[in-house]
Amino acid sequence: MAIDALGLHDIDAFYGDSHILQKVSFALGEGRLLGLLGRNGAGKSTCMNVVVGLLPARGGTVEVFGGDITRLPPESISARGIALVPQGRRIFKSLTVRENLMVAARPPDPGSRHAPWTSETVFAMFPRLAERKHQLAAHLSGGEQQMLAIGRALMANPRVLLMDEPSEGLAPQIVADVMATIRKLKESGLSIVLVEQNPRLVFDVADDIAILNGGRVAVVSTPAELTRGGIDLTQHLGVY
Amino acid sequence: MMTQLTSAQAVILAINSFAFGGLLFLLSAGFSLIFGLMRIPNLMHGSFFMLGAYFGVSLLDWGVNFWVAALLSGLAMAVIGGIIERFLLRRLEGQVLPQVLLTLGFAFIIADICLMVWTGDPWQPTAPPSLRGAVQAFGLFFPLYRLAILAVAVAVAIALWIMVDWTRLGAMIRAGVDDPPIARVVGIKVSQLFTLIFCLGAALAAFAGVMGAPFLSVYPGLDFEMLPLALIVVILGGTGSLLGALVGSFLLGFLYNFGQAMFPDLAYVILFLPMLLVLVLRPQGLFGRVVA
Ligand SMILES: Nc1ncnc2c1ncn2[C@@H]1O[C@H](COP(=O)(O)OP(=O)(O)OP(=O)(O)O)[C@@H](O)[C@H]1O
Ligand SMILES: [Mg+2]
Repeated sequence: MAIDALGLHDIDAFYGDSHILQKVSFALGEGRLLGLLGRNGAGKSTCMNVVVGLLPARGGTVEVFGGDITRLPPESISARGIALVPQGRRIFKSLTVRENLMVAARPPDPGSRHAPWTSETVFAMFPRLAERKHQLAAHLSGGEQQMLAIGRALMANPRVLLMDEPSEGLAPQIVADVMATIRKLKESGLSIVLVEQNPRLVFDVADDIAILNGGRVAVVSTPAELTRGGIDLTQHLGVY
Repeated sequence: MMTQLTSAQAVILAINSFAFGGLLFLLSAGFSLIFGLMRIPNLMHGSFFMLGAYFGVSLLDWGVNFWVAALLSGLAMAVIGGIIERFLLRRLEGQVLPQVLLTLGFAFIIADICLMVWTGDPWQPTAPPSLRGAVQAFGLFFPLYRLAILAVAVAVAIALWIMVDWTRLGAMIRAGVDDPPIARVVGIKVSQLFTLIFCLGAALAAFAGVMGAPFLSVYPGLDFEMLPLALIVVILGGTGSLLGALVGSFLLGFLYNFGQAMFPDLAYVILFLPMLLVLVLRPQGLFGRVVA
């Protein structure tokens, strides 16, 4: 069996005394795209925080290409090849666009088959950012900030890309652009976790789907199986 | 009571103001970075200045070259500051009152140690031989050493500005201030960068202490004379702003020298009144950013 790019095994996580994630397990195969769905407060971002090391898990393990990263600090997890496009974008507002990319730059692994990401390749992918490279990131529009957040994540030449609701708060045309970008990244062979509330966006691009409900994994399936019916999505996702 | 000054006296006072302002900048740049970036009110900063000056005095006593002594003293203080930050202050992250108490406690400890080692007598090392004397221009004498302090302060200001505003290291530091958790997720070693800032601030304060020694002399109590001056500079200029620290330092340099010469009875009013005005009218300081 091939080694998974990312695996969560029986993760328990708490904010203070509240038990948020309860025995959460899911896996992302290499080169695949996993859609992680769930309604408000289901625990999607909490999963991301556990993976990147911002919220230490109280139980369970997180593995990246078979290596245990559960107890590592965020800087070391980043060095293991995990990059996050955070919910709400969280770009560095007092830095320029170029500086936002520069601070996240990391050379790719020696064994990597892909052309490395640099500011030039990111700017080639997002020409709007190139035009604004000397502006402060705070002055960008929402869509541009989202592109910058994606570009910043790519600068680390990650092996696994986590994207937490990248379509949130964007106009439909911009959402389409973002989805096209995600498709391109997937085609380049990157392993991706795409967190969304709206399953329609995810079903097109995802290979696998995991649905969180109340801090537990309620469904592990594929888009094909879920569109065929059989599982009542409204039960887990509400009306969409 | 106002004392009238002749124009020659005014020129000399202006030079002293610039030199003292330069010294204040070396002292308060670190204080401002530590407070502005790490949010640590470092009440040891005056103690770093005084201890650094004493280190310098001893090194000079052993025949070490003046500039080497100033650099070595800065280096020693970077190590001491780094240890205090890494092992003690780091445990109190985000807790202002415990930080105030810890740094104040250390200030008293350092004061006691200095008294024990260097006694209560003042020390006044001489300026480096090449900078003793004065240059004559426009019929006036300009003391060389004071001009040198000014030049060093301006050079340090430019170097710091380049580091913070124009290098990847500086951008990483600013990213770490903007959003510490996300900066770490992006791979920036925020905690190490902050330790580096603290070491740098401590080193600059000690370096300033040595530079100031031939001019101010070193004596018990110098620490708590300098600390409020650094505070005033940072409040005038705005925390975390290097330009603010520079302008604030020269402003205070002038207020201090001209205030003492012209209104000797009101010296403290002249020092603290502008600070109070800024606090009330423009709390972020003259050049400070408004914190969102
Ligand atoms: N910092 C925090 N402190 C305490 N509780 C939190 C914190 N962050 C999230 N929670 C709680 O944890 C639960 C899961 O939150 P999480 O942010 O993971 O949800 P989510 O699935 O990402 O939702 P959304 O789609 O709204 O982003 C929620 O009940 C939330 O209230
Ligand atoms: Mg979320």
